[in-house]
Amino acid sequence: MSDFTLDDELILDYLAESREHLATIETDLLSIEQAGAAIDEQMVNRVFRAAHSIKGGAGFFDLLHIKELAHRTESVLDLIRSRQMIPNSEIVSILLMAFDKLRNLILDYRDSNTSDISEFTTALTRLAEEHLSPDKKTSPDEVVTIHIPRSERLLSTSVFDMDQARHSGKNIYVIQYDLIHDFRRLGGTPLGVFHHLIKCGDVLTSGFDLTSAGTLDDEPSNQLIVDVLYATALDSLSVVQVLDVAPDRVHEIEHNNVGLPVSAPDLSAAAPEPAEHVLKNTPMPPSAQMETTVRLNVALLDSLMTLAGELVLGRNQLIEAVRNDDKQGINAGAHRVSLVTSELQEAVSLTRMQPVSTLFSKFPRLVRDLAGELGKEVHLRLDGGDVELDKTIIEGLSDPLTHMVRNSVDHGIELPAARIAAGKPALGTVTLRAMHQAGQVMIEISDDGKGLAVEKIIASALAKGLVTADQLQTMSDFDKKALIFAAGVSTAEKLTSVSGRGVGMDVVKTNLDKLGGKVEIDSVPGKGAAFRIKLPLTLAIIPSLLVSDSGERFAIPQVSVGELIRIPSDQIEERIDRAGDAEVVVLRDRLVPLIYLAEALGGSRAKRGSKALNVVLVDAGAFEYGLVVDDLHDTVEIVVKPMGRHLQALREYAGATILGDGQVAVILDIAGLAQCAGLSRAVAAQTAIGSVADETAGEMHSLLLFQNAPGEGCAVPIELVTRVERVRAGQVELLGGRRTMQYGGSSLPLVALDDVAAVGKLEETQQWVVVVFDCAGQTFGLLVAEPLDMIETCLALDTATLRQPGVAGSALLNGRTTLMLDIFELAGTLRRRSPTADASEPANPTANGTTAILVAEDSDFFRGQIKRMIEAVGYKVLAADDGQSAWELLDQHAGEVSAVTTDIDMPRLDGLGLTKRIRGDSRFANLPVIALSTLASEEEMARGIAIGVSEYQVKLDQNQLLESIRKAVGGANRKQSPVAA
Amino acid sequence: MTPQQPIANEIASRDLRAAVVQPDADLVSAHVAVFRSRLRDVVSSGVLHLTVDLAGVRLVDSSGIGLLVAAHNSLKKSGGELAVIHASQDILDLLRTMRIHQHFSVSGN
Repeated sequence: MSDFTLDDELILDYLAESREHLATIETDLLSIEQAGAAIDEQMVNRVFRAAHSIKGGAGFFDLLHIKELAHRTESVLDLIRSRQMIPNSEIVSILLMAFDKLRNLILDYRDSNTSDISEFTTALTRLAEEHLSPDKKTSPDEVVTIHIPRSERLLSTSVFDMDQARHSGKNIYVIQYDLIHDFRRLGGTPLGVFHHLIKCGDVLTSGFDLTSAGTLDDEPSNQLIVDVLYATALDSLSVVQVLDVAPDRVHEIEHNNVGLPVSAPDLSAAAPEPAEHVLKNTPMPPSAQMETTVRLNVALLDSLMTLAGELVLGRNQLIEAVRNDDKQGINAGAHRVSLVTSELQEAVSLTRMQPVSTLFSKFPRLVRDLAGELGKEVHLRLDGGDVELDKTIIEGLSDPLTHMVRNSVDHGIELPAARIAAGKPALGTVTLRAMHQAGQVMIEISDDGKGLAVEKIIASALAKGLVTADQLQTMSDFDKKALIFAAGVSTAEKLTSVSGRGVGMDVVKTNLDKLGGKVEIDSVPGKGAAFRIKLPLTLAIIPSLLVSDSGERFAIPQVSVGELIRIPSDQIEERIDRAGDAEVVVLRDRLVPLIYLAEALGGSRAKRGSKALNVVLVDAGAFEYGLVVDDLHDTVEIVVKPMGRHLQALREYAGATILGDGQVAVILDIAGLAQCAGLSRAVAAQTAIGSVADETAGEMHSLLLFQNAPGEGCAVPIELVTRVERVRAGQVELLGGRRTMQYGGSSLPLVALDDVAAVGKLEETQQWVVVVFDCAGQTFGLLVAEPLDMIETCLALDTATLRQPGVAGSALLNGRTTLMLDIFELAGTLRRRSPTADASEPANPTANGTTAILVAEDSDFFRGQIKRMIEAVGYKVLAADDGQSAWELLDQHAGEVSAVTTDIDMPRLDGLGLTKRIRGDSRFANLPVIALSTLASEEEMARGIAIGVSEYQVKLDQNQLLESIRKAVGGANRKQSPVAA
Repeated sequence: MTPQQPIANEIASRDLRAAVVQPDADLVSAHVAVFRSRLRDVVSSGVLHLTVDLAGVRLVDSSGIGLLVAAHNSLKKSGGELAVIHASQDILDLLRTMRIHQHFSVSGN
């Protein structure tokens, strides 16, 4: 005889099933909320049934509070289903909280009966009462009594439960179990038998027939009857078969029972129900628990099966060979087994891959609740849920992602009013995106909020003593943003329940580090922020392009491959170009830098001979380049294996893989390779025409690019250009060895660059282009071959290599070495050649050696420009490359300097700091200070003026600047003369 | 099984016609007959408030349930009542599942 103890397995099954139900409820409830009045009955039904099953089981195990709470939620859901209640966000919130509580109760079911649920039941009851039609008000608690056929016994259950059963198209039975005989025959414990029951339906109630036990004076009873009121979709015949009870013990009650306040059975709802319920019997409903079960792709399972079959064949072969002592056979068998085993191992490890959607699914609720709590309107977009990641990584990502999503909603997205004021829709968007990128899995959390408050991060980090002001000076913007990951840094103005305590991002970082992930921050003030988490693919399968070079094969992740280019040997000359020390390929309208794989990996370039060039155009995230390889092969799916520990520091490789033939191929890290080859982001960024260069690298310059001699690119600052004219060769007049042309009613002196500098000669053609400059009051034209483009870029000017008269230096623009012209020098050489021009130059009365202008400017290019510009009108210039040295110069030449022009952003001492010092020294109290800034906000200007800046000017309007200097020098001389005397 | 005869210790006084019986073996079919006669003796001696203390009981099977219900029925007939105390969680769950706790008082440890 079996023991009548609580069947642990039974309650565990119930708990697992309940958790399963609860897992899907959340998403469904949120959809219900979104649908509003347009109720999706199926969806509501699904939640309803989940609540109902939880209730059923709870009643069975006498988990009173769980039952009660589930029952209340069920009542509310029923009202929604019957369209007596429109689900709004308040209702859904209450339901969500109730289900949360339910989840907690189920988690801790042993103490659930003592847990306080009144808060939730009250709220739910209130909801139900508010919406219940008056005649139905009593329904949830109304009790119906059912007579047990062929007996005097009664069973009581709530009308509500009965109606529920009917609504879902279930038949209602009374089943009489004999505790002694039936259970012994069924070979189970009483709880086991009940378990069987709730698998196929709902136990509405049960009752023990006390009289069947007799009294102590009677003979021990051989029959103990338990009546079970049972609702199931099964027909009576199936009930008898499935439950294995005698037919005469099953009584169908249906809905014919007298005394039931029957509402007409809802046939429409009934129809799909039975199928649904039969499904309940199938082993794993969709949302299985992640911890204990895994869903697998059938194809993968099939391949596992095939491999297992292969293994068996291999074993047979081996056994056969051993029996026959066939050495060759043993070798072959061993080989086969070993091969299959490793494949099997690989396939099994793939079963750990999980779609990211399992991780993403919890965020809609989180965002919704958070947004509600903070009074914001936020929409969460999920993208790439089908990207697969290793289970371990997915589990490890849960916390960091949660934190970052919270941050986006809390810090990123503004309040609706602020958003509207900023010209954005009130509804903020947070996007969670997963993708395979550049051989890694990237998860991006982005929002269209206000962006990272970098100043606040810095201030917080400074206040916490995590960085010093000195360190900050030399930090890149990227590093400053990364300070957000330092412990204790917070940008929140006030503590919210959500964030602001300064813990979190550092934990996020730690967690991601553990997973081998990297975080990148992208933030545009006012536009939003994006956090990109790049995760290693430890186990990811990625399609890759196989290439070979120097006899080795390499894999390039397909996502990084843009296109494949084959340059026939006879076209190499014309399509490959040199820019600086880099080779570039002309691809349609772009110039793409080239990297020779063999060279990048430390070998030497193969002798090309007459062979064509194979180029793989790859995307390194921020830029693209062409990778030159010997041969291109197929695209294959590879399983990425991490590099061995001692090889992991190599940036060129992202991992390795084993190819179909058993050979190893390393996977190239496209971005790492570019780094190793010295192709930095800054350089490559310039190859993208019109691309906005990294603001952090320096100030922006607007340049006009044009071509001088063939293949010789030149650039001039656009501010100096007055016009660009196309002229026919015939319009250019050669007078006295000088070229001139008619321009605006007078004669315009023309100069070609090769007139003054040792550069390629301008080709004689039928048509030229004249760039007209107005330089320090002198107008002249520069003859060039062809204007190319106008770009805005930050300039890394090399003022040494190619420096010569008229050429300020060189810079790499669009992947080409471009000459930066010095227009002031050009104008100067023109003046020297032309005595009349010299004579016409207005002699400056104050231009006498002792009147100097101090120029503080950290950009070599601008400093040179300003210097020559001022020198052109006859002043001496003291140039300093930062505020500190400017101050030192000023101190030494106190008597000479009559005006100061200063840049605002400079290392060591900035323009404002310099001004402050100047104003703080009585010697310079009246010294004019002209601030030159590329972009000055009104606020910044006001601050500058308050400190003592005499004038703000946009960099670089030469006429305005010279005018100001003239005025300043005049004024300063008048004011300074008594002091000097 | 336990070699010696299982004994239901009657430990409380019979004042107020109340008694506490404390079985020291499991309420399973093998022992039920002994317990049944013991309980019958107690009830027939006029006890109306019978408390069965299950502190020493790990298992209760069908016949055990039958016994408890029979005791309840007997007491009810004479206007008394049965109470079960110190039932283990498992036994508690079982009695509740069978809805037996609705008929007489059942409490756990």
